[in-house]
Amino acid sequence: MGVAGRRWASVTTVALDDAELASRFASGDADTVRVVYQKYGRLVFSVAMKVLGDPGLAEDATQQTFVQAWRAAASYDPTRPLGAWLTTIARRVAIDTYRRERRHRDLDDIDTSTGSALITLPPSAEQIHDVAEVRRALDELSAPDRDLIRMQHFDELTHAEIAAELQVPLGTVKSRTFRAHRRLAGLLAHLRAEPDDDVQEGGSHGRR
Amino acid sequence: MDDDDLTPAERAEIDRIRATLVDPVVWAEPGEDLQERVVAAIAAEAGARQPTPGPRRRWVRYAAGGLAAAVLLAIGLTVGIRANQDHPVEFAAAMSGTALAPGASGDVTLTKTPSGWRIKLHATGLPRRTDGEFYEAWLKNDAGVLVPIGTFNDGNDVTLWSGVGPAGFGTLTITREAADGNQASSGEVVLLGKPHLS
Repeated sequence: MGVAGRRWASVTTVALDDAELASRFASGDADTVRVVYQKYGRLVFSVAMKVLGDPGLAEDATQQTFVQAWRAAASYDPTRPLGAWLTTIARRVAIDTYRRERRHRDLDDIDTSTGSALITLPPSAEQIHDVAEVRRALDELSAPDRDLIRMQHFDELTHAEIAAELQVPLGTVKSRTFRAHRRLAGLLAHLRAEPDDDVQEGGSHGRR
Repeated sequence: MDDDDLTPAERAEIDRIRATLVDPVVWAEPGEDLQERVVAAIAAEAGARQPTPGPRRRWVRYAAGGLAAAVLLAIGLTVGIRANQDHPVEFAAAMSGTALAPGASGDVTLTKTPSGWRIKLHATGLPRRTDGEFYEAWLKNDAGVLVPIGTFNDGNDVTLWSGVGPAGFGTLTITREAADGNQASSGEVVLLGKPHLS
Protein backbone atom coordinates (compact mmCIF):
# COMPACT_ATOMS: atom_id res chain seq x y z
CA MET A 1 0.00 0.00 0.00
CA GLY A 2 1.41 3.39 -0.97
CA VAL A 3 1.39 6.46 1.11
CA ALA A 4 -1.91 7.50 -0.37
CA GLY A 5 -3.41 4.28 0.90
CA ARG A 6 -3.52 6.10 4.13
CA ARG A 7 -4.75 9.52 4.99
CA TRP A 8 -4.55 12.61 2.83
CA ALA A 9 -5.21 15.36 5.33
CA SER A 10 -4.94 13.46 8.49
CA VAL A 11 -3.00 15.97 10.53
CA THR A 12 -5.63 17.31 12.85
CA THR A 13 -3.33 19.63 14.71
CA VAL A 14 -2.59 22.60 12.54
CA ALA A 15 -0.06 25.22 13.40
CA LEU A 16 -1.82 28.43 14.24
CA ASP A 17 0.27 30.33 11.76
CA ASP A 18 -1.27 28.30 8.90
CA ALA A 19 -4.68 29.79 9.62
CA GLU A 20 -3.22 33.21 10.16
CA LEU A 21 -1.11 32.93 7.05
CA ALA A 22 -4.17 32.00 5.00
CA SER A 23 -6.08 34.91 6.48
CA ARG A 24 -3.35 37.32 5.50
CA PHE A 25 -2.91 35.60 2.15
CA ALA A 26 -6.55 36.45 1.41
CA SER A 27 -5.66 40.13 1.57
CA GLY A 28 -3.41 39.64 -1.45
CA ASP A 29 -0.60 41.49 0.30
CA ALA A 30 2.47 40.89 -1.84
CA ASP A 31 4.81 40.11 1.03
CA THR A 32 2.40 37.58 2.52
CA VAL A 33 1.99 35.98 -0.89
CA ARG A 34 5.78 35.68 -1.04
CA VAL A 35 5.87 34.03 2.38
CA VAL A 36 3.19 31.51 1.39
CA TYR A 37 4.98 30.84 -1.88
CA GLN A 38 8.32 30.35 -0.17
CA LYS A 39 6.75 27.89 2.23
CA TYR A 40 4.64 25.92 -0.22
CA GLY A 41 5.77 26.85 -3.75
CA ARG A 42 8.04 23.84 -4.19
CA LEU A 43 5.34 21.51 -2.91
CA VAL A 44 2.79 22.90 -5.36
CA PHE A 45 5.34 22.79 -8.17
CA SER A 46 6.19 19.15 -7.43
CA VAL A 47 2.53 18.16 -7.63
CA ALA A 48 2.15 20.02 -10.92
CA MET A 49 5.33 18.43 -12.27
CA LYS A 50 4.13 14.96 -11.34
CA VAL A 51 0.94 15.46 -13.34
CA LEU A 52 2.32 17.45 -16.27
CA GLY A 53 5.95 16.37 -16.57
CA ASP A 54 6.87 19.66 -18.19
CA PRO A 55 8.55 22.45 -16.21
CA GLY A 56 6.92 25.26 -18.19
CA LEU A 57 3.42 23.86 -17.84
CA ALA A 58 4.11 23.05 -14.19
CA GLU A 59 5.13 26.63 -13.49
CA ASP A 60 1.98 27.92 -15.18
CA ALA A 61 -0.09 25.49 -13.12
CA THR A 62 1.72 26.56 -9.96
CA GLN A 63 0.92 30.20 -10.68
CA GLN A 64 -2.69 29.33 -11.41
CA THR A 65 -2.88 27.31 -8.19
CA PHE A 66 -1.89 30.30 -6.07
CA VAL A 67 -4.30 32.56 -7.92
CA GLN A 68 -7.15 30.10 -7.39
CA ALA A 69 -6.17 29.70 -3.76
CA TRP A 70 -6.28 33.45 -3.35
CA ARG A 71 -9.74 33.60 -4.95
CA ALA A 72 -10.96 30.84 -2.65
CA ALA A 73 -9.11 31.97 0.47
CA ALA A 74 -12.36 32.87 2.20
CA SER A 75 -13.42 29.22 2.01
CA TYR A 76 -10.20 27.87 3.51
CA ASP A 77 -10.90 25.63 6.47
CA PRO A 78 -8.39 26.72 9.12
CA THR A 79 -8.50 23.28 10.77
CA ARG A 80 -6.86 21.86 7.67
CA PRO A 81 -3.15 22.23 6.93
CA LEU A 82 -2.57 24.97 4.40
CA GLY A 83 -0.15 22.77 2.46
CA ALA A 84 -2.77 20.04 2.02
CA TRP A 85 -5.32 22.58 0.85
CA LEU A 86 -2.89 24.02 -1.70
CA THR A 87 -1.96 20.51 -2.83
CA THR A 88 -5.60 19.72 -3.53
CA ILE A 89 -5.96 22.85 -5.61
CA ALA A 90 -2.65 22.16 -7.37
CA ARG A 91 -3.72 18.67 -8.36
CA ARG A 92 -7.04 19.91 -9.72
CA VAL A 93 -5.39 22.72 -11.68
CA ALA A 94 -2.68 20.41 -13.02
CA ILE A 95 -5.16 17.77 -14.14
CA ASP A 96 -7.27 20.43 -15.86
CA THR A 97 -4.13 21.66 -17.61
CA TYR A 98 -3.20 18.10 -18.52
CA ARG A 99 -6.60 17.48 -20.13
CA ARG A 100 -6.51 20.77 -22.01
CA GLU A 101 -3.02 20.09 -23.30
CA ARG A 102 -3.93 16.57 -24.32
CA ARG A 103 -6.96 17.85 -26.26
CA HIS A 104 -4.77 20.34 -28.11
CA ARG A 105 -2.18 17.70 -28.86
CA ASP A 106 -4.83 15.30 -30.14
CA LEU A 107 -6.19 17.98 -32.46
CA ASP A 108 -2.69 18.75 -33.69
CA ASP A 109 -2.13 15.10 -34.45
CA ILE A 110 -5.39 14.93 -36.42
CA ASP A 111 -4.57 18.09 -38.35
CA THR A 112 -1.15 16.88 -39.38
CA SER A 113 -2.22 13.29 -39.99
CA THR A 114 0.72 12.05 -37.99
CA GLY A 115 -1.20 9.04 -36.80
CA SER A 116 -2.91 8.28 -33.56
CA ALA A 117 -2.30 10.58 -30.65
CA LEU A 118 0.00 9.36 -27.95
CA ILE A 119 -2.19 7.91 -25.29
CA THR A 120 -0.92 8.59 -21.82
CA LEU A 121 -2.67 8.71 -18.53
CA PRO A 122 -2.05 11.19 -15.74
CA PRO A 123 -0.52 9.71 -12.61
CA SER A 124 -2.95 8.24 -10.14
CA ALA A 125 -4.18 10.13 -7.12
CA GLU A 126 -2.02 7.84 -5.04
CA GLN A 127 1.12 8.65 -6.98
CA ILE A 128 0.43 12.38 -6.77
CA HIS A 129 -0.20 12.04 -3.08
CA ASP A 130 3.04 10.17 -2.54
CA VAL A 131 5.00 12.94 -4.21
CA ALA A 132 3.18 15.64 -2.24
CA GLU A 133 3.72 13.95 1.10
CA VAL A 134 7.38 13.21 0.49
CA ARG A 135 8.03 16.69 -0.88
CA ARG A 136 6.30 18.21 2.14
CA ALA A 137 8.41 16.13 4.50
CA LEU A 138 11.62 16.97 2.64
CA ASP A 139 10.80 20.66 2.89
CA GLU A 140 10.65 20.25 6.66
CA LEU A 141 14.22 18.94 6.78
CA SER A 142 17.20 21.23 7.09
CA ALA A 143 18.93 21.92 3.79
CA PRO A 144 22.01 19.80 4.69
CA ASP A 145 19.79 16.85 5.66
CA ARG A 146 17.76 17.23 2.48
CA ASP A 147 20.97 17.26 0.43
CA LEU A 148 22.12 14.13 2.18
CA ILE A 149 18.88 12.31 1.38
CA ARG A 150 19.10 13.47 -2.21
CA MET A 151 22.70 12.28 -2.58
CA GLN A 152 21.93 8.87 -1.15
CA HIS A 153 18.62 8.13 -2.85
CA PHE A 154 18.40 10.25 -5.99
CA ASP A 155 22.09 10.48 -6.89
CA GLU A 156 22.60 6.93 -5.61
CA LEU A 157 25.89 7.73 -3.91
CA THR A 158 27.32 5.41 -1.29
CA HIS A 159 28.16 6.68 2.16
CA ALA A 160 31.81 6.67 1.19
CA GLU A 161 31.11 8.70 -1.95
CA ILE A 162 29.04 11.18 0.03
CA ALA A 163 31.85 11.48 2.57
CA ALA A 164 34.28 12.24 -0.22
CA GLU A 165 31.88 14.71 -1.82
CA LEU A 166 31.25 16.57 1.44
CA GLN A 167 34.82 16.07 2.68
CA VAL A 168 33.66 14.76 6.05
CA PRO A 169 34.48 11.47 7.81
CA LEU A 170 32.51 8.38 6.82
CA GLY A 171 31.21 8.03 10.36
CA THR A 172 29.80 11.53 10.22
CA VAL A 173 27.91 10.74 7.02
CA LYS A 174 26.48 7.57 8.57
CA SER A 175 25.31 9.31 11.72
CA ARG A 176 23.89 12.27 9.81
CA THR A 177 22.11 9.95 7.38
CA PHE A 178 20.65 8.05 10.30
CA ARG A 179 19.34 11.26 11.86
CA ALA A 180 17.95 12.51 8.54
CA HIS A 181 16.17 9.20 7.91
CA ARG A 182 14.78 9.15 11.42
CA ARG A 183 13.48 12.70 11.02
CA LEU A 184 12.01 11.92 7.61
CA ALA A 185 10.30 8.80 8.91
CA GLY A 186 8.96 10.82 11.84
CA LEU A 187 7.56 13.47 9.52
CA LEU A 188 5.68 10.78 7.61
CA ALA A 189 4.68 8.77 10.67
CA HIS A 190 1.21 10.32 10.78
CA LEU A 191 0.44 8.43 7.60
CA ARG A 192 0.89 5.05 9.24
CA ALA A 193 -1.99 2.85 10.28
CA GLU A 194 -4.72 5.17 9.20
CA PRO A 195 -8.02 4.01 7.76
CA ASP A 196 -8.15 3.45 4.04
CA ASP A 197 -11.42 5.27 3.62
CA ASP A 198 -9.61 8.51 4.23
CA VAL A 199 -8.04 8.24 0.83
CA GLN A 200 -11.46 9.18 -0.47
CA GLU A 201 -10.73 12.73 0.43
CA GLY A 202 -7.59 12.69 -1.66
CA GLY A 203 -9.06 10.55 -4.40
CA SER A 204 -12.18 12.59 -4.85
CA HIS A 205 -10.44 15.86 -5.61
CA GLY A 206 -9.56 16.40 -9.21
CA ARG A 207 -12.07 13.86 -10.38
CA ARG A 208 -14.96 16.04 -11.21
CA MET B 1 24.55 5.54 15.21
CA ASP B 2 23.74 4.62 11.63
CA ASP B 3 20.80 3.33 9.61
CA ASP B 4 21.05 -0.05 11.32
CA ASP B 5 19.77 1.71 14.43
CA LEU B 6 16.49 2.78 12.83
CA THR B 7 13.46 1.14 14.34
CA PRO B 8 11.61 -1.38 12.15
CA ALA B 9 8.79 1.13 11.71
CA GLU B 10 11.20 3.85 10.65
CA ARG B 11 12.97 1.52 8.25
CA ALA B 12 9.64 0.44 6.79
CA GLU B 13 8.65 4.06 6.23
CA ILE B 14 11.92 4.84 4.44
CA ASP B 15 11.56 1.66 2.35
CA ARG B 16 8.01 2.66 1.47
CA ILE B 17 9.04 6.04 0.08
CA ARG B 18 12.24 4.84 -1.57
CA ALA B 19 10.62 4.73 -5.00
CA THR B 20 9.31 8.25 -4.56
CA LEU B 21 12.71 9.54 -3.47
CA VAL B 22 14.22 8.54 -6.80
CA ASP B 23 11.48 10.34 -8.74
CA PRO B 24 13.06 13.47 -10.28
CA VAL B 25 9.75 15.28 -9.76
CA VAL B 26 10.30 15.28 -6.01
CA TRP B 27 13.56 17.17 -6.46
CA ALA B 28 12.43 19.50 -9.24
CA GLU B 29 12.74 23.20 -8.50
CA PRO B 30 10.65 25.94 -10.14
CA GLY B 31 12.32 28.85 -11.90
CA GLU B 32 13.55 31.68 -9.73
CA ASP B 33 11.15 34.17 -11.29
CA LEU B 34 8.05 32.15 -10.48
CA GLN B 35 7.58 33.75 -7.07
CA GLU B 36 7.27 37.22 -8.57
CA ARG B 37 5.03 35.89 -11.33
CA VAL B 38 2.68 34.56 -8.64
CA VAL B 39 2.78 37.87 -6.77
CA ALA B 40 2.07 39.81 -9.96
CA ALA B 41 -0.78 37.48 -10.99
CA ILE B 42 -2.51 37.86 -7.64
CA ALA B 43 -1.96 41.61 -7.67
CA ALA B 44 -3.55 41.73 -11.13
CA GLU B 45 -6.52 39.69 -9.91
CA ALA B 46 -6.91 41.93 -6.89
CA GLY B 47 -6.85 44.98 -9.15
CA ALA B 48 -9.42 43.47 -11.48
CA ARG B 49 -11.84 43.12 -8.60
CA GLN B 50 -12.24 46.88 -8.39
CA PRO B 51 -15.69 47.74 -9.84
CA THR B 52 -15.80 49.94 -12.94
CA PRO B 53 -18.78 52.20 -13.81
CA GLY B 54 -20.83 51.54 -16.95
CA PRO B 55 -20.99 54.05 -19.82
CA ARG B 56 -24.50 55.34 -19.19
CA ARG B 57 -25.01 58.37 -16.94
CA ARG B 58 -21.41 58.19 -15.97
CA TRP B 59 -21.33 61.89 -14.92
CA VAL B 60 -24.17 61.25 -12.47
CA ARG B 61 -22.26 58.39 -11.00
CA TYR B 62 -19.12 60.48 -10.79
CA ALA B 63 -20.99 63.31 -9.03
CA ALA B 64 -22.68 60.94 -6.60
CA GLY B 65 -19.50 59.05 -6.17
CA GLY B 66 -17.57 62.22 -5.46
CA LEU B 67 -20.06 63.31 -2.83
CA ALA B 68 -20.09 59.88 -1.25
CA ALA B 69 -16.36 59.73 -1.40
CA ALA B 70 -16.06 63.05 0.39
CA VAL B 71 -18.33 61.83 3.16
CA LEU B 72 -16.71 58.44 3.38
CA LEU B 73 -13.18 59.66 3.08
CA ALA B 74 -12.91 60.76 6.67
CA ILE B 75 -14.63 57.63 7.92
CA GLY B 76 -12.66 55.43 5.58
CA LEU B 77 -9.36 56.93 6.50
CA THR B 78 -10.06 56.53 10.17
CA VAL B 79 -11.46 53.02 9.94
CA GLY B 80 -9.00 51.93 7.29
CA ILE B 81 -6.00 53.15 9.16
CA ARG B 82 -7.29 51.63 12.34
CA ALA B 83 -8.00 48.30 10.62
CA ASN B 84 -4.57 48.39 9.08
CA GLN B 85 -3.10 49.07 12.44
CA ASP B 86 -5.06 46.17 13.91
CA HIS B 87 -3.67 43.69 11.37
CA PRO B 88 -0.49 45.08 9.90
CA VAL B 89 1.83 42.79 8.04
CA GLU B 90 4.52 42.19 10.59
CA PHE B 91 7.68 40.12 10.71
CA ALA B 92 9.81 39.44 13.76
CA ALA B 93 13.10 37.82 14.63
CA ALA B 94 15.32 37.09 17.56
CA MET B 95 18.76 38.58 16.95
CA SER B 96 21.81 36.55 17.90
CA GLY B 97 25.27 37.87 18.64
CA THR B 98 28.07 36.61 16.41
CA ALA B 99 31.62 35.69 17.38
CA LEU B 100 32.44 39.41 17.25
CA ALA B 101 29.80 40.13 19.93
CA PRO B 102 28.99 36.86 21.68
CA GLY B 103 27.27 38.64 24.56
CA ALA B 104 24.90 40.56 22.31
CA SER B 105 21.30 39.64 21.62
CA GLY B 106 18.07 41.34 20.73
CA ASP B 107 14.80 41.24 18.93
CA VAL B 108 13.42 43.03 15.96
CA THR B 109 9.99 43.65 14.48
CA LEU B 110 9.35 44.79 10.93
CA THR B 111 5.99 46.40 10.20
CA LYS B 112 4.75 47.21 6.74
CA THR B 113 3.47 50.78 6.42
CA PRO B 114 2.43 52.83 3.39
CA SER B 115 5.81 54.53 3.37
CA GLY B 116 7.95 51.42 3.79
CA TRP B 117 8.99 48.95 6.44
CA ARG B 118 9.33 50.32 9.96
CA ILE B 119 11.89 48.29 11.86
CA LYS B 120 12.12 48.38 15.63
CA LEU B 121 15.28 46.95 17.10
CA HIS B 122 16.02 46.30 20.75
CA ALA B 123 19.55 45.03 21.27
CA THR B 124 21.55 44.46 24.42
CA GLY B 125 25.19 43.68 24.94
CA LEU B 126 26.43 46.06 22.27
CA PRO B 127 28.72 48.84 23.52
CA ARG B 128 27.74 52.33 22.46
CA ARG B 129 29.76 53.51 19.46
CA THR B 130 30.58 57.22 19.01
CA ASP B 131 33.27 59.51 17.62
CA GLY B 132 32.81 58.52 14.03
CA GLU B 133 32.03 54.92 14.80
CA PHE B 134 28.54 53.52 14.66
CA TYR B 135 26.41 50.49 13.86
CA GLU B 136 24.69 49.95 10.55
CA ALA B 137 21.69 47.71 9.83
CA TRP B 138 21.26 45.81 6.58
CA LEU B 139 18.74 43.54 4.90
CA LYS B 140 20.26 40.85 2.72
CA ASN B 141 18.68 38.59 0.12
CA ASP B 142 19.67 35.05 -0.88
CA ALA B 143 21.92 36.37 -3.63
CA GLY B 144 23.90 38.34 -1.05
CA VAL B 145 22.61 41.76 -2.10
CA LEU B 146 22.79 44.15 0.86
CA VAL B 147 20.39 47.04 1.37
CA PRO B 148 21.42 49.54 4.08
CA ILE B 149 18.52 50.45 6.34
CA GLY B 150 20.05 52.88 8.79
CA THR B 151 22.80 53.69 11.25
CA PHE B 152 22.77 54.20 15.02
CA ASN B 153 25.02 54.55 18.05
CA ASP B 154 23.17 52.59 20.70
CA GLY B 155 21.12 49.49 19.98
CA ASN B 156 18.76 49.70 22.91
CA ASP B 157 15.80 51.36 21.20
CA VAL B 158 16.27 51.86 17.49
CA THR B 159 13.82 52.65 14.73
CA LEU B 160 14.97 51.98 11.20
CA TRP B 161 13.21 52.24 7.83
CA SER B 162 13.55 50.08 4.77
CA GLY B 163 12.27 50.28 1.23
CA VAL B 164 12.64 46.53 0.77
CA GLY B 165 10.77 43.87 2.72
CA PRO B 166 11.88 40.81 4.66
CA ALA B 167 10.09 38.40 2.34
CA GLY B 168 12.57 39.16 -0.40
CA PHE B 169 15.47 40.17 1.84
CA GLY B 170 15.31 37.55 4.52
CA THR B 171 18.35 38.25 6.67
CA LEU B 172 18.83 41.24 8.92
CA THR B 173 22.37 42.01 10.06
CA ILE B 174 24.02 44.69 12.18
CA THR B 175 27.62 45.61 11.40
CA ARG B 176 30.25 47.79 13.01
CA GLU B 177 31.11 50.72 10.78
CA ALA B 178 33.26 53.86 10.76
CA ALA B 179 32.72 57.18 8.99
CA ASP B 180 35.67 56.58 6.71
CA GLY B 181 34.04 57.38 3.40
CA ASN B 182 33.55 53.75 2.53
CA GLN B 183 29.83 53.14 2.03
CA ALA B 184 30.17 49.36 1.71
CA SER B 185 29.60 47.04 4.61
CA SER B 186 32.65 46.41 6.77
CA GLY B 187 31.57 42.81 7.01
CA GLU B 188 31.96 42.97 10.77
CA VAL B 189 28.59 41.49 11.63
CA VAL B 190 27.74 41.67 15.33
CA LEU B 191 24.05 40.73 15.28
CA LEU B 192 22.10 38.54 12.91
CA GLY B 193 18.49 37.39 12.57
CA LYS B 194 16.08 35.93 10.05
CA PRO B 195 12.67 37.62 10.30
CA HIS B 196 9.57 35.51 9.87
CA LEU B 197 5.91 36.42 9.58
CA SER B 198 4.49 36.94 13.04
